[in-house]
Amino acid sequence: MSFLSVKKLSKHFGGLIANNEIDLEVEKGEIRGIIGPNGAGKTTFFNVISGFYQPTSGSVTFKGQNISGKHSSEISKLGVVRTFQRAALFPDFTVLENVVIARHLRANNSLVSAIFGNQKKAEEANVKRSAEIIEFLGLGDEIESLASNLSHGHQRQLGVAMALATEPELLMLDEPVAGMNSGEKAVMVGMVKKIRDEWGVTVLLVEHDMRTVMNLCDRITVIDFGEKLAEGTPDEIKNNDKVIEAYLGADDSVA
Amino acid sequence: MGLDILPQTIGNALVLGSIYAMVAVGLAIAFGVMQMANFSHGELFMVGAYCVYVLYTLFGWPFELAVIASFPIVALIGVIYERLIFRPTRGNVLAGFMATAGAGFILQVLISEWYGVGLPKSVQVPYPGGSDFLMTAISWQRLAIIPVTIAMVFGLWYFLTKVKDGKALRACAQDPEASVLQGIKLNKMTALAMAISGGFAGVGGALMAPIVSVNPYMGHDYAIIAFIVVIVGGMSSIPGAVLAAFILGFIHTFVSTFADSVYGMMIGVLFMAIVLIVKPTGLLGNVKV
Amino acid sequence: MLKSNSMFIKRWWPAATIIIVFAFAPQLFETFWGRMGMYKLVLLQVFLANVVLAQSYRLMTTTGDWTLCHYILMGMGAYTTAILAKFYGVPFYLTIPVAAICTVAVSFLIALPLSRTIGFAFFIGSFALGEFVRYIWEKLHFPFGGSRGLSNIPRPELGQSGDWYFVDFSSRMDISNLYYGTLILAVFALVLLYRLDTSRFGNAWKSIYSDSELCESIGINVTRYRILIFCVAGFFASLAGSLLAYQWGAIDPDNFGMIEMVYLIIWVVVGGVKTYWGPLIGVASMSLVFELTRPFDEFRPLIFGVILISSLVFMPGGLEVLIPRTTRFFKNLVGTKEVS
Ligand SMILES: Nc1ncnc2c1ncn2[C@@H]1O[C@H](COP(=O)(O)OP(=O)(O)O)[C@@H](O)[C@H]1O
Ligand SMILES: [Mg+2]
Repeated sequence: MSFLSVKKLSKHFGGLIANNEIDLEVEKGEIRGIIGPNGAGKTTFFNVISGFYQPTSGSVTFKGQNISGKHSSEISKLGVVRTFQRAALFPDFTVLENVVIARHLRANNSLVSAIFGNQKKAEEANVKRSAEIIEFLGLGDEIESLASNLSHGHQRQLGVAMALATEPELLMLDEPVAGMNSGEKAVMVGMVKKIRDEWGVTVLLVEHDMRTVMNLCDRITVIDFGEKLAEGTPDEIKNNDKVIEAYLGADDSVA
Repeated sequence: MGLDILPQTIGNALVLGSIYAMVAVGLAIAFGVMQMANFSHGELFMVGAYCVYVLYTLFGWPFELAVIASFPIVALIGVIYERLIFRPTRGNVLAGFMATAGAGFILQVLISEWYGVGLPKSVQVPYPGGSDFLMTAISWQRLAIIPVTIAMVFGLWYFLTKVKDGKALRACAQDPEASVLQGIKLNKMTALAMAISGGFAGVGGALMAPIVSVNPYMGHDYAIIAFIVVIVGGMSSIPGAVLAAFILGFIHTFVSTFADSVYGMMIGVLFMAIVLIVKPTGLLGNVKV
Repeated sequence: MLKSNSMFIKRWWPAATIIIVFAFAPQLFETFWGRMGMYKLVLLQVFLANVVLAQSYRLMTTTGDWTLCHYILMGMGAYTTAILAKFYGVPFYLTIPVAAICTVAVSFLIALPLSRTIGFAFFIGSFALGEFVRYIWEKLHFPFGGSRGLSNIPRPELGQSGDWYFVDFSSRMDISNLYYGTLILAVFALVLLYRLDTSRFGNAWKSIYSDSELCESIGINVTRYRILIFCVAGFFASLAGSLLAYQWGAIDPDNFGMIEMVYLIIWVVVGGVKTYWGPLIGVASMSLVFELTRPFDEFRPLIFGVILISSLVFMPGGLEVLIPRTTRFFKNLVGTKEVS
């Protein structure tokens, strides 16, 4: 039984077939990359797994439990949490507040105790843990900054911090280094490695930037026109004829 | 009570559906272009009715001329709305919507001040008598609403699909950014949409003036219904608005005939709630114009 | 410890001052206006209920869901209170909570279909569903009294008139006791609403407004939270409704119509909803305008219409955006340098 198991997953938008019978097996503790040209259906694939879209057909199983068709908030409670391709955050809140809000689920106080109880005390553990996560991801200097004032790189890091704050077992990152300069990219790569190595979180990531994917991932799955094209280690993918023809050949960014 | 009143009831439903369509189409077209939502659409309807009261009853114009005149008069109010409210609040649907609630207050006060609140104004019936064919007895005054509505909806369709400005309006409803890039002037389009919207409401009110009592608050009920109609039809869909108008016309007429008019309204609202649950985008939400 | 105490005092002294002023209002009014002061007291009682109403409406808007049926929720509280008090002689300390619970139930039923919609469709949908409730009141003679509504709602028995705090307007109509009851309940409601606003739920609601997709991804069930806020807002609206039902002594479906709803919208739009203080400023300033325009009440809708349009067009954030500016102005006036 694999950790995450996707079977013949399809997603149609009217006549458009965004995902066609994609299979995917992710093992616990691995960093898996998904690559493919723009519009290949990668984000859609993420959206279906994380419950933002209902699959047209096929199934998603996480730790033996069928999660396809479940509500997105429920899936994230089960430990599968995704980030967005855009810099998604709560701009009017500080970095710390953003992460604390993301730990919302962990603060198991009811509405009544939220009103009548000592809020500071109830939140203390959460705040402490949030600060820890922020520190761990190297955002410590920005902890009191307003999220909207962060640089793009930091905003994306905050997105990862918020996802991590829900204490996921599977972290799904949608193009985590999009729009970053090379320095920021390196920071993000280090961060993802650290998350897996030190906290044992399994990572599934979609990425456009080939260098990043090749450096970071244990295995890579290639999607093209909504279908799975190939799968293997970075070296295997680099030398796969079909991949070179369909994707790498057209992309100058390949190292 | 039995089958013999069925044709009569169907006739009444068609009349009611027509008037709903006239009012709701105006809402839908304004909402379609830059999401202008007019809370006081009912007050525009009311002004249309006052046009007939003033021009026909007070000034003695021919009824038909008074109805025709209500179109440009209320269209002008629509354009003023666009200029003073919708343009400054563009991009914020709710702000525009709430501000038009204020505009409705203003229109009510102005009309009351000019013509008095006191007794509802009665407009003498220009077409007395009624049908007595197909087992129906519907006054000519009401029946006249059906062909006028058909003509106006057809005219609108012709305008939107065949005339240059109308095509531009449709393009603008579909994709404002692209149409601006093609050189369509957004402000002109929003003003045009509000003019049509106001004109339809005005003619609707004008046609109803001899049938209902004319007073500054008469628009309220029609506004509620028009909003239910556009939600059911799919906010900015004109075919949706027409379809939903007739559905509600039938619901209201049949329930009123066989039970009571308040129950008719209640069932109409329930129907809307069901549509919201089953298909939040409305019946024809994807069919724009 | 000492430090946190002084912080506490610093933060709460304005509120405490205001409460004390309100507590002595009956005495002040009696001193200034004699028995006529009682009518001013009625205005003040209604004002307090309106503050609770506006504040509960502001809570409702934190997720970005503006509704048009908030007055109906308030009416639900008023009707339940009236029915229980009039037909069953239930005392106020039971009518008010029971009314609140009934209103929460109704809010839940209304919120279920509405939660499927967002933005404008939500707004209009709430309008129609609210009208539905109003038709029920109009239609059912028992217990709602049909379109004539309910009259002769007994005042709560809060002891002999003038029992509390030595006020005595020496009249059978003395409302000073109801006033104190209202003051206590209003303070209670406003404190709860304040705590709710700053609680983790308040943050979750605000974050739903900011980015509902992101909320889903971190496990906040947006639909459930939107229904929850609707119910909580209904709870507090119901409190306001109970208080007004006791004050008016008679209610009918037209008391909770669209015009009243538009005035509520005017309060919060003029004041602003971003901070807790916006609705308070809005109700206070608009109540003042309302009283000042009493001589020309036929023009009142026009005046408020102009106010509504101009505040939406010229000051979309509401009067509350002036708070930081004013405080800065006064700080500069006093000469203290601002420390940031
Ligand atoms: N909600 C949607 N409705 C209709 N089409 C969509 C939707 N989301 C994505 N698509 C389409 O599905 C295809 C795949 O998109 P996406 O998954 O975003 O690709 P990628 O992330 O690989 O760039 C695209 O053609 C896109 O237009
Ligand atoms: Mg993508």
